[in-house]
Amino acid sequence: MKENASIVAARAHGARQLVGWLARYGTFSSLLIMIIAFASLSPGSFFTVSNLVNVVNQASLTAIISAGLTLPLIVGEFDLSIGYLASLAGVLVTGLMVNQHLPVAVAIVTVLLVGALVGFVNGVLVTKAGVNAVIATLGVGTLLIGFNYGYSAGIPVSVGVPRAFLAIAFGRTAGIPNDILFMLIVLAVLWVVLNRTDVGQMIQAVGGNIEASRLSGIRVDRVKIGAFMIASVCAAFTGILLASLIGSGSTTAGDSYLLDAFGAVFLGSVTLRDGEFHVLGTLVGVLIIGVAYNGLAIFGAPAFDQYVVKGLILIAAVALSTVARRFARG
Amino acid sequence: MEEMQGTEPQSIAQSEASFLEIRGLAKQFGGVHALKGVDLSVRAGEVHGLVGANGAGKSTLIRLLAGIMQPDGGEISLDGRPVVIRDAQHAMSLGLSFIHQELNLIPKFTALQNLTLGLKKPTRLGLVDWSALRREVEPVIEQMGIHFSLDNRAEDLTVAQQWLLSIGRALVRKARLIAMDEPTASLSPEEVDHLFKVVRELTRNGIAVIYVTHRLHEVELLCNRVTVFKDGERVALLDRASLSRERLVEAIVGREQRRSAQRRESSVTPETILEVRNLARGSRVREVSFRLMKGEILGLAGLAGAGRTELVRLLFGADRAESGEIHIAGGAVRIGTPHDAIRHGIGLVPEERRSQGLMLAKSIAFNMSMTDLGALRPVSWLPFVSLRRAARRAEEMIGRLLIKMRTTAALVQELSGGTQQKVVIGKWLLRTPRVLIMDEPTRGVDIGARAEIYDIIHDLAHQGTGVLVVSSDVEELVQLCDRIVVMVEGRISGELSGAHITEETVLRLSYKHGKG
Repeated sequence: MKENASIVAARAHGARQLVGWLARYGTFSSLLIMIIAFASLSPGSFFTVSNLVNVVNQASLTAIISAGLTLPLIVGEFDLSIGYLASLAGVLVTGLMVNQHLPVAVAIVTVLLVGALVGFVNGVLVTKAGVNAVIATLGVGTLLIGFNYGYSAGIPVSVGVPRAFLAIAFGRTAGIPNDILFMLIVLAVLWVVLNRTDVGQMIQAVGGNIEASRLSGIRVDRVKIGAFMIASVCAAFTGILLASLIGSGSTTAGDSYLLDAFGAVFLGSVTLRDGEFHVLGTLVGVLIIGVAYNGLAIFGAPAFDQYVVKGLILIAAVALSTVARRFARG
Repeated sequence: MEEMQGTEPQSIAQSEASFLEIRGLAKQFGGVHALKGVDLSVRAGEVHGLVGANGAGKSTLIRLLAGIMQPDGGEISLDGRPVVIRDAQHAMSLGLSFIHQELNLIPKFTALQNLTLGLKKPTRLGLVDWSALRREVEPVIEQMGIHFSLDNRAEDLTVAQQWLLSIGRALVRKARLIAMDEPTASLSPEEVDHLFKVVRELTRNGIAVIYVTHRLHEVELLCNRVTVFKDGERVALLDRASLSRERLVEAIVGREQRRSAQRRESSVTPETILEVRNLARGSRVREVSFRLMKGEILGLAGLAGAGRTELVRLLFGADRAESGEIHIAGGAVRIGTPHDAIRHGIGLVPEERRSQGLMLAKSIAFNMSMTDLGALRPVSWLPFVSLRRAARRAEEMIGRLLIKMRTTAALVQELSGGTQQKVVIGKWLLRTPRVLIMDEPTRGVDIGARAEIYDIIHDLAHQGTGVLVVSSDVEELVQLCDRIVVMVEGRISGELSGAHITEETVLRLSYKHGKG
C-alpha cells in the first residue's frame, strides 16, 4: 500500500516535471525537431543558407506585428484590428506617394502616426468607454476595412510607386536583408521598453495584477492605451514593409497577419515561461510558424493544408498557453 | 400543542419545543477556533437574535447551517431529529432559508421571476403559465403586504422591497426558519417598521427567525430571545424578561481589561499631518472628520459594515468623495485617484493583499519597486530603469523588515502570508510616506510575523509617519494605537486615547447607536 502510494506520488511528480519542462522548452524542441526533419528529408532545398535566410526574411514582417501584439496581450487585452490596420497602412502609404505625391519619408511617418491614432482609439474605447477589447478592436478593424475601400475603391495602388520605397524591403545593408534588420531593431526596442524602462515595468505590473497596480499609483488606463498604440504602430509598420515588398498597396494584403500573430504570441508565451507573454518568446513562435510554412511549401503542400496547419498551430498554441498558466498557478 | 390565544404579539405562535437545536457546534480554520462548541436553540414562531462583535462566530454558524461548509464537531437537530446539512440545496429542502446582505436576486429578472426562481412552474401547452404562477404566489404577496407590481425588475426595486421579495421567496419555498443578516443596514425608519411588521407576521405563522445584527435597539424591539457570541463561544442567552441594552453590551464586550503593559512609548508630535473634514459618500461614509498627527498611530475601529474600508478608499482615491475636504500637512488637496494620493505622500496597505497588494507571479524586487519607479532611473530625465537598483533597494528593505529570503528574485507567490504582507509594507516604506494607511495589517499572518509587523509600525511612527491602522481585531488596536476613533454606520461615534483605550471601551463605542 505504502509503496504503491509513493510510486503514484513519484509518477505524479514526474508528470508535473514533464509538463513543466514541456511548457518551457517544448517550443524550442519542436522548432529544432522541425528543422532537423525538414533538413534530413530535403537537404538540398530546405537546409541551404539562402532558404534559411528566406525563412527568416519572410518571418520578419510577422515578427514585427506579433511583437507589437504581445503588449496588449501582456496587459490582459486583445487586439483584432492589427491585420486590417496593416492592410490599410499598405494602401495608404502607397496612395499618399502616388496620389498625393508625398515624399517617401513623409508618407511613412504619416502612416505610422495614423497607426498610433488607431491604437489610441482602441485603447480609449477599451479603458475609458469600457468596451470589451474583442468587440472594440473588431469594430475598429471593420471601420478600417471601410476606410481602406473608401480610399482605394478596392483597386490596388501599384502604378507609380517610387523606386526608393521599393528598395526599403528589397535592399540589403551590410549583406543582411533590410527586413531582418528592421525586425531585429523592433524586437530590440520592444525588449528594452518592456524590461528596462518604467513604462515597460508598468505594462508588466498591469499584466501581473491590475488592481494592485492601480493601488500602487499606476495609471492603468494610460498604460493600456500605450500598449494598444505600440501594437498599432508595429502593425502599420508591417503594412508599410509589406507594401514595399510586394510593390503595391493591396486592400487585403495584411489581413492574414492577424491569425499568424496570435499563433506566434501564444506559442511564445509557453517558451521559457509558464504562459507569460514576452517578446523573445514571440520571436520563437514566429520562427516556428515560418519554418512550418516554408517546409509545407517546399514539399508542395496544397493551399488548404496550409490553412489546416495554421488553424492547428493557433489552437495548439492557445491551449498550451492556457494549460501552462494553470500549471504555474498549480 | 399550545393554544394560540396569547395577547402579547411577539409570542403568539411560540412553542416551547425547539425547531432548531444546536449542540457543541465547532469549526476550525487553520488552527483558529472560529466556533468552540456552541449551543443554540430556536423555537418555531420566535425571533431569535444573534449578536456579537466581529469574529465572534456568527457568520461561521450561519454558514454551517446553510450547508456551505461542514462542522468539525457538534450536532444540529431539526424537530428533534439530528441532521447533516450536506449543501445549500439540502438546507433549503429542510426548510432553512438564508437572506444575506447582498441579496441573491437576479437584477434583470422581474419580481415574479425572482420569487419563483428554481421552482417547478405550472405549464400550459408546454409553456410556463405565468398567470397560474401568479395565482400560486398570491397568498404570499398578501401575507407580506407587498404593494409593488411583480412585473418590476428586481434592480428597479428599493432595498426594502428587495428584502421583502427575498423573504417572500423563502415563504414560497415553504421555509420554516429564515436567517436574516443585518436586514436593516440600508433602510429608512419607516421601512424598518414595515419589515418588523412582516417579521412578526412570519412568527405568527410559526416560522422561526434568526436575526443577526449589530443594532442592539432592534434586538430589544424585535427579539424574543437573544444569543450572544464572543470569541467563538456562547456567553449569554437572554430572554425577553432579562433583555436590556446594558446586559447585551456587557455580554458582547466581556469584562476583561487587558491593556497591555508593554506598550511602546508613543512618538506622537503636535503637528497635524492629515486632516479630514466632513468627508462623505453615500450612506457608508457620513460627514467624517478627524486628524492624524505626525508620528501617531491612529486606530480606526468599528463593526463590519461600519464604513471603515469605504472611508479608507476615499482617503486613497480609490473612490471619490461626494463632499468634504482632505488636508495634508496643512494644505487642502484633491484626491481623485490613487496616483494623486501617492503624490501627496499617502500609502495604502490594502485589505486583501493577494488580490489588491501584490503581483504574485513577480519577484520581490519587482513588487517593491512598483510604488516608486522613478527611483530606479540612473539618469532622472531618461525613462530607463536599472534592475540592479531595484534589487539593491529591495535587499535593503528585506534586511529592515527581517524578511527571511536570501534573494529578491524570489517570486512572491512562494512566500508565506506574513512575508507577503511585509513585501506589501516594504513597497510603501521605500517611499517613506507621510501617511500610511494599513487595512487589516495582520490578517492571515502568524504570531511571529505579527509581532514583527507591530515593530515595523512603531518604527515607522517614530520616523514621523502618521499611521492609520484599520482593524477588526480590537485587541490589536488596543495594543498598538496612541488613539482610536470608532465608526458606527458611517459616522465617527467617539474617540479614545491614552488610558481610556481598552477593549471594552472600544466595543462600547462600536455599539453606540445614533438613535439611542
